[in-house]
Amino acid sequence: MKLIFEKSIKGRDGYSLPQDLFDDIKVEKCLPEYAISKDKKLLSEVSEVDVVRHFTKLSKLNYGLDDGFYPLGSCTMKYNPKINEKLASLSNFVYAHPFAPEETVQGCLEIAYNLNKLLCEITGMDEYTMAPAAGAHGELTGILIMRKYFVDHGDIRHKMLIPDSAHGTNPASAAMGGFQVVEVKSNEKGTVDLKELAELMDEDTVGLMLTNPNTVGLYDEGIEEIEKIVHDKGGLLYYDGANLNASLGIIRPGDAGFDVVHLNLHKTFSTPHGGGGPGAGVIGVKKDLIPYLPTPNVAFNSDQKKYYLLDAGEKSIGMVRAFWANFSVLVKTYAWILSMGPNGLYNASKTSIINANYVLAKLKKYYKPAYDRYCGHECTVTGKEYKKYGVKTLDIAKRIMDYGMHPPTIYFPHFEPYAEETIMVEPSESESKETLDKFIDIMIKISDEAKTNPELLTTAPHITPIRRTNDALAVKRAILTYDDELKLKDELKYQEKDIDF
Amino acid sequence: MRYIPTTEEQKKNMLKEIGVPSFEALIESVPQNLRLKDKLNIPKAMSESELEDKIFHIAKKNVDFYSMKPLLGAGSYRHFIPEAVKFLLQREEFWTCYTPYQPELSQGTLQSIFEYQSYISRLTKMEVIIPSIYDGASATAEAALMSLRLTQKNKIIVSNLLHPHYRETIKTYLTPHETEIIDLPYKNGLVDIEKLKTLLDEDVASVIIQNPNFFGGIENMAEISGIVHSKSALLINVIAESMSLGILKAPGEIGVDIVAGNAQSFGMDLNYGGPYNAYLGTRKQYIRQIPGRIVGETVDVDGKRVFVMTLRAREQDIRREKATSNICTNHNLNVLAANIFLSLMGTEGLYQISLLNTKSAHYLENLLLQTGKFERVFDCPFYNEFLLKSKDDISSINKKLLGNNFVPPLKICEFYQEKNLNNVLLFAVTEVLSRDNLNLVAKILSE
Repeated sequence: MKLIFEKSIKGRDGYSLPQDLFDDIKVEKCLPEYAISKDKKLLSEVSEVDVVRHFTKLSKLNYGLDDGFYPLGSCTMKYNPKINEKLASLSNFVYAHPFAPEETVQGCLEIAYNLNKLLCEITGMDEYTMAPAAGAHGELTGILIMRKYFVDHGDIRHKMLIPDSAHGTNPASAAMGGFQVVEVKSNEKGTVDLKELAELMDEDTVGLMLTNPNTVGLYDEGIEEIEKIVHDKGGLLYYDGANLNASLGIIRPGDAGFDVVHLNLHKTFSTPHGGGGPGAGVIGVKKDLIPYLPTPNVAFNSDQKKYYLLDAGEKSIGMVRAFWANFSVLVKTYAWILSMGPNGLYNASKTSIINANYVLAKLKKYYKPAYDRYCGHECTVTGKEYKKYGVKTLDIAKRIMDYGMHPPTIYFPHFEPYAEETIMVEPSESESKETLDKFIDIMIKISDEAKTNPELLTTAPHITPIRRTNDALAVKRAILTYDDELKLKDELKYQEKDIDF
Repeated sequence: MRYIPTTEEQKKNMLKEIGVPSFEALIESVPQNLRLKDKLNIPKAMSESELEDKIFHIAKKNVDFYSMKPLLGAGSYRHFIPEAVKFLLQREEFWTCYTPYQPELSQGTLQSIFEYQSYISRLTKMEVIIPSIYDGASATAEAALMSLRLTQKNKIIVSNLLHPHYRETIKTYLTPHETEIIDLPYKNGLVDIEKLKTLLDEDVASVIIQNPNFFGGIENMAEISGIVHSKSALLINVIAESMSLGILKAPGEIGVDIVAGNAQSFGMDLNYGGPYNAYLGTRKQYIRQIPGRIVGETVDVDGKRVFVMTLRAREQDIRREKATSNICTNHNLNVLAANIFLSLMGTEGLYQISLLNTKSAHYLENLLLQTGKFERVFDCPFYNEFLLKSKDDISSINKKLLGNNFVPPLKICEFYQEKNLNNVLLFAVTEVLSRDNLNLVAKILSE
């Protein structure tokens, strides 16, 4: 589609200015000459109508959750309730300045305080920080809390254990936290190999980062043993909450012995993904770790009946961001929990588990499960049997688009021999049986096409706004701005139909 | 439950088809003794109207911020946001989609990011823009980490006039790396250039300077750049108020190596602190060390010009512990807000708003000085924020302002304990304050 710059007409405008531009003040008297830009920065010149049409058209090149099935494994693409958006955009919230006096923002603080208590109950933890902006940010925060705890106890440790099935953010966060990453292999059941864990866990290791159910959607049966192995060596257990959607009202990470928990509010707690954020990756800890939480946190003075931002004190890891939280995400989370209640939360997890197992049961004849057992809220199957027809999992995913659905997560996790050419389906509780049946039919049809007409898959998708992209060329040319493109204008030679669609 | 379509009857049938007698059989791997025995102890489900009542009631415990005019900035600025921004942003195709891993179904998101990179590149005159780090503070910390990787050195110099939260965040991020962080003091409201010269040596990876600085002052970045580069350190320019780029010289023009900018002013509400957006800018030669997502242009099999996430071999999902950062989910919807905002403002609009902010801030400073109740703390140029020392007690001043529907300015002593900054306020002015508003502020404070 044409870029906004290609729609620009000199002299056109899309802004409005106040009548009084303070022309009596001379800018030369305000700013030193060396600081003022000689030229105006060239953006685009378009009207409001142009802008509205441009972005409306752009939106139509996207596929959103409200369009249909979006079964991305490990991403929990659940329905984003509309009332929550309205509540988060109440003017008393959106115009609240983060440095406004505490007495003027009692409503904001009350929401954060109440949410903290609810999340503690839902996960069995003692206190949360609302600071982290995303899951990975929460991981870093949690790891720094663990680090500070050991430093404070004069017990300097260097290693962090992470299963091979973990999200890439786990090892990346551990490395940012200054730890050496030690990988723990998965066993034939798809879960942590207890023997290897026992061998690796030593007194130079801060602990284990675990996603449960793990990233292939399986509950770690050995969770009690895992807890014992890690704690016996003085380590701490970190819970990656990416898959909490399988556990609401069933099992709480706090009860299973986890010391630090991160929750992706944009996954389990229904806040929208927004094409890659914003979300929030709040961190919950057990009592012993509360002093290390980032600063500030929300507290309540029961004498004065007032909420306030509390400086977390000397042992705190410090700040991990400016101000204190992605507040509007917190409002949506709070609203969702209140809408669901205890029965609703349990029902969400129960339904998501039934949905995933239903898909697994119906598909396993056509796509072998990576592990033959019941799954949590997502199931992992493999497309490797279709390789002999020249079809890869990528081709299957692209073909799904032709049938009007978003493909599941593919190639994650990827570790042989158990997880190869993986297709990970997470239907979430938001999907009806009819939608699942439609998806199952499509997947079966595609498995047939793979055998009879593989080219249909290898050249897919056919009916999307654009088709397969040349990713290698993107790296080679590195056109990262419109000005980069302009420099290569002669070489690129796009025809009108290539840019105007 | 209105958000869960599957009926109990359907679930029963599905369990039958799965081949299990009950739901329990599906979760048998969850140890019995760890399972919850009782229901979660949280309030019962509310209807939508009950929920609305409840949250409306809580929201009312805030003051009516919409009717109030802010004199407070300090890293979060209330600017006017055209309605078209909010309207377009809420299109479900943008609002409810995932990270654009499948370009065939996400050209809307991808092209929007590319356009934003192009805008910020023009505003900052930096070649490469990383569009979405969480906020200004974490972007500054990522910039610091990037400078350590680029130089293989482990010492940085940080201006004392960098936003205090940004300084704290850098410290937190760098603690595990045992980086030596040296405070660069200020002199007369700007960084102390002579001190910078003495602190700099060949072991310094980077020097981090905010401009306009936390006191609102405009630093002489060209001079700083010359000094920093003479010792082959990298210069990191932090911008907490990106609207200033409408009128101020671009960092890329004065030799800055890495820019870390808070883009909240471009179409994002205050939201009591977040979510906002921040970008990083740098030179193409440093591209292998940038953190986070970036979008590039390529073609599809039909030769169409399309956009994809690119240079991915640095990212956590591929490189794991060797990645340049752990960042995954970022603030993409805020990128879109900024893109729409900048498209509406265009070349002239952004310039005019930036100019207006400069002028109206100077208008207010002058008015307040004329009341005889205030005096300047420093005599340095500023953009739209300035410090004034009050002859009256600042707490009672702020109470008065609050009572007259102004969000009061920042008491600078909350962050700086120097004696001469006692009883000093940091005022911010944007276009949402009219001349009448500013006159009223001066009138209130002259009484």
